[in-house]
Amino acid sequence: MSGDGHGQDEPAPAAAAPAKALAEVAARSKNESLGPSPVSIQRRKSAQQLAQTRPDPARPHVLDVENVSVVIRGRRIVDNVSFWIPKGEFVCLCGPNGAGKSTLLKAIMGLLPIEAGGRILIGGQDVAVGHAKIGYVPQRKGFDRDFPARAVDLIVAALRGKWPVRIREDERAKAKAVLDKIGGTSLLDKPLAGLSGGETQRVFLARALVTNPTIVVLDEPTAGVDARGRRELLELMRDISRSDELAAILVTHNLAAVAETAERIVYLEGGQLLCWGLPDELLGQTALTALAFQATDHHAHAPDEE
Amino acid sequence: MDLFEPLQFGFMQKALIGGLAVAAVCAVIGIFIVQRGLAFLGDGLAHAAFGGIAIGLYLGASVENAVWIAIPFTAAIAIGIGYVLRRTQLRGDVATGVFFSFSFALGVLFLGLRSAQDRPIQLENLLFGNMLLVTDEVLKVVVIVAIVGLVLTISLWSRLAYAIFDPELAAISGVPVAILEYLLLATTAVVVVVSVKTVGVVLVSSFVVIPAATARLVGTTLAGTTAVAVLISTLGAFVGLIASFHWRTPSAATIILIHCASFALALGWSRIRR
Repeated sequence: MSGDGHGQDEPAPAAAAPAKALAEVAARSKNESLGPSPVSIQRRKSAQQLAQTRPDPARPHVLDVENVSVVIRGRRIVDNVSFWIPKGEFVCLCGPNGAGKSTLLKAIMGLLPIEAGGRILIGGQDVAVGHAKIGYVPQRKGFDRDFPARAVDLIVAALRGKWPVRIREDERAKAKAVLDKIGGTSLLDKPLAGLSGGETQRVFLARALVTNPTIVVLDEPTAGVDARGRRELLELMRDISRSDELAAILVTHNLAAVAETAERIVYLEGGQLLCWGLPDELLGQTALTALAFQATDHHAHAPDEE
Repeated sequence: MDLFEPLQFGFMQKALIGGLAVAAVCAVIGIFIVQRGLAFLGDGLAHAAFGGIAIGLYLGASVENAVWIAIPFTAAIAIGIGYVLRRTQLRGDVATGVFFSFSFALGVLFLGLRSAQDRPIQLENLLFGNMLLVTDEVLKVVVIVAIVGLVLTISLWSRLAYAIFDPELAAISGVPVAILEYLLLATTAVVVVVSVKTVGVVLVSSFVVIPAATARLVGTTLAGTTAVAVLISTLGAFVGLIASFHWRTPSAATIILIHCASFALALGWSRIRR
């Protein structure tokens, strides 16, 4: 179950050493042109030197990503990625633009096929069946803002798997209960078009939670939301994750959001898993910041990537 | 003056039945077409049908029978527009414009290739029907196509609505987004081609766009918006047809102007409500 060849209980090197090594590599890499390989071998080795504490294997698995590769139009967007998420853990899947985050996310939700030899399990079931246990909070830009819809319509659509013509009392009660839980009761009958960015994402979070998922996936949910709205939404999600033992994956390249909420970080670059560990191990040393900076400079966006 | 005197005449009865059938099906389809940003699709497909009719004539079909070649041809054009929309970043009006030009050029080309001995063809006779001159045979086809189109669209309404709102969320919920979109476009093509021969190209376009746009101004839910669109469309067709008889005005133009008046009222009401 180890990810990308990293051992479960690797001895943690002194904190300063890998950060310094990584910074040196980062400085060198800025002055040299990268070859065709999506990830520099040197930087990869530097990343491997970081302490990377894996989840306790005794905890029940909610999501298993095992040797997953995704190829789109002949291009390998996700390359042999492995990690897993235990029940109740809030994980940030991060990396620079073109790292393969959104593509991996689509594969986890069963929207993209993965190459033979890999597999994705949700609650122990293959993704083809298990994807129903995922609650999804999309980027705000994804939906038609001109669509005549109220918050309750969207939440009930998630329950039914189709858009409601008339909403039954029990469905309305469920929608209201989930909005109550996240402090959005007043939004129930409001038109989506009139909601602020933060309110819109609250409704989409309610939509994701109403089906009682075992894992919630948030794809750049705070893009276009102000700093206060972002903090409120992520704190809310983190609180729900803790109180309900609900696993969550936050996909972002916003390191501030990662620092505020992550219990563990999965860091992708060039489609490969580079680091998988605790925020203190990976963020405190500015290592990821340096890596992300270089990668954004040198790598073009992959197709279908945010 | 008897308000409903016009309905004593057979030609007015047929015009009313054809008009109401086309108005209802176009309103339901129009909700999705307008919401998808394809307001010019009806107009584009109506003209694209010309390419199919010209191919039919070139192959030796009569003007009446060439429509049976125009139907699959126009459906293929609609699916082509859908393919471009799904596979590129181009907007709906651009994709429609490209395919409309292609079809029209193809039509002119095939008409030009016909033998000099063939009977000359007037373009407007190929495309622009008159609802007061509808024959029994054409009316049967229109009513059948309208009923099939309505049943299909209403039965898929909930899934289509979800797919139009957010294709990604709908796909995650198991909605076959691509199939539904292609089906909607192909159904629109068939309805438009058949309706054009009955009520004319301009009226078909207005049936698709204006009631949906009007309902969108007053509706807060998609279900309510759809119901309002059907009501406005059919009521406008009924009132416009009766009025055109009494006022001695062209029926299609009268119906369109009544639809436009509804739109203006809805616009005013939506401004006051704000």
